[in-house]
Amino acid sequence: MTRVVVDREVCMGAGVCEMEAPEVFELDADGVPQVHEPVDLAVVETAVRACPTGALQLMD
Amino acid sequence: MSSVSTPTLDAIDLSDREFWGAPPEQRHAVFDLLRRESPFAFFAEPVVPYIPVGPGYHAVTRYADVEAISCQPALFASGSGAVSIADMPPDLNEFYGSLISMDDPRHGKIRRIVAKAFTPRVLEGLVGNVQAVVDDVVARARQRAADGDGTIDVVADLAAPIPLRVICDMMGIPDGDRAMVLHQSNVILSGGDPELVEDEELMVTAFLKAGEVLAGLMTRLAVERRARPTDDLTTALVTTEVDGERLTSQEIASFFILLLVAGNETTRNAISQGVLALSEHPAERDRWAADPGITRTAVEEVVRWTSPITWMRRTATQDVELSGQEFPAGSKFLLFYGAANRDPAVFADPHRFDLTRDPNPHVGFGSRGPHFCLGAHLARREIGVAFQAFARELPDLEVCGEPARLQSSFVNGLKRLPARLTGLR
Repeated sequence: MTRVVVDREVCMGAGVCEMEAPEVFELDADGVPQVHEPVDLAVVETAVRACPTGALQLMD
Repeated sequence: MSSVSTPTLDAIDLSDREFWGAPPEQRHAVFDLLRRESPFAFFAEPVVPYIPVGPGYHAVTRYADVEAISCQPALFASGSGAVSIADMPPDLNEFYGSLISMDDPRHGKIRRIVAKAFTPRVLEGLVGNVQAVVDDVVARARQRAADGDGTIDVVADLAAPIPLRVICDMMGIPDGDRAMVLHQSNVILSGGDPELVEDEELMVTAFLKAGEVLAGLMTRLAVERRARPTDDLTTALVTTEVDGERLTSQEIASFFILLLVAGNETTRNAISQGVLALSEHPAERDRWAADPGITRTAVEEVVRWTSPITWMRRTATQDVELSGQEFPAGSKFLLFYGAANRDPAVFADPHRFDLTRDPNPHVGFGSRGPHFCLGAHLARREIGVAFQAFARELPDLEVCGEPARLQSSFVNGLKRLPARLTGLR
């Protein structure tokens, strides 16, 4: 199953992922996204690509 | 467009203030040439009174190079100044640049504190606010035209008050201080435009004074919010902690200036030049009015097309290589976002204004990297709500004169844009 991994060190909390896919990403109190499973690949691909800091990675 | 003369490489000087007041077609013709023939063109620095003149800078005009520089912040730093070509004195630099002219680890720490106040979810709570502000601004503009000769100034009556009121609401700025906030942020981002800074010799003094006045307001508000917290952003700034650390008074004051200035000038110029672009492309204007469903892509195209911030600077921390060319440590690079946003390698038919362009990976909010615009969601929301309201409430708006352009290389802005409401006669 596809997972999304968030690199907390790289994430700047821009929140672009949450805007692209609010059903999957929810920023926590630190401004870092929590990922709600299951992940629909079609939905998260755009978000992963759109991340301005490259903090999101898709893993199989 | 037919009046655009063909530029030659030798005649180009991006440090010439006159160039920045020229019509966009003319500037884009220059950037097309640079991108094609000299993608790291070197220019002498403009002279700023009382500031030592630096070694010059490279103008980066290709999308791929802008991206490569932005996403390698360790090699291309912001700390020696991202918003001025000259190296400003460090305290000045930090005060006016705040997060923008800062590198990790400090940048990361402060960005994480303020990012909490800018998440899409927090901003969701502001939708009603943005809508109410826009509706009121639009109604007042119509009233002003009706009370007068049927004309308005798109900048003063529509584009300026929307972001000003939204950001002031967010920060909890009292009504009585708002006109002052607008004026001082205009001065800071004037780039020395003669209309805003009368004497170029006094440019730096004028910037300093504007900053001092804004910092004074922030200090006053910070004291008030510490005593009586509210749900505004200022309260969040004075109370939020990351790893047990709070922002210092100095950090709060300079971030406050950044928010006021960045939150006002950018969105204002996207809106005013968006209105101009729609008036120059009536078919696109009709398309958006007929189908609010295209708002998401339309907003992105307005930002790509207008690219309100023309450049940010990066400085090489060591010898670096870009697209096979080598540059010594200390080299300055200006990332020309508007030029990257018209790069045919990324955007098909880049000089076409297409409200359904998709994908549209423009760098109008900056490119990939830690300095990506913090207020991107807010700006998108403001622009989307504004243009939908214009289509609904001001369908008879017609630009009726030449725009007055700001002579600034840093902000692609309009000072005035005359329009008339034709439905009023």
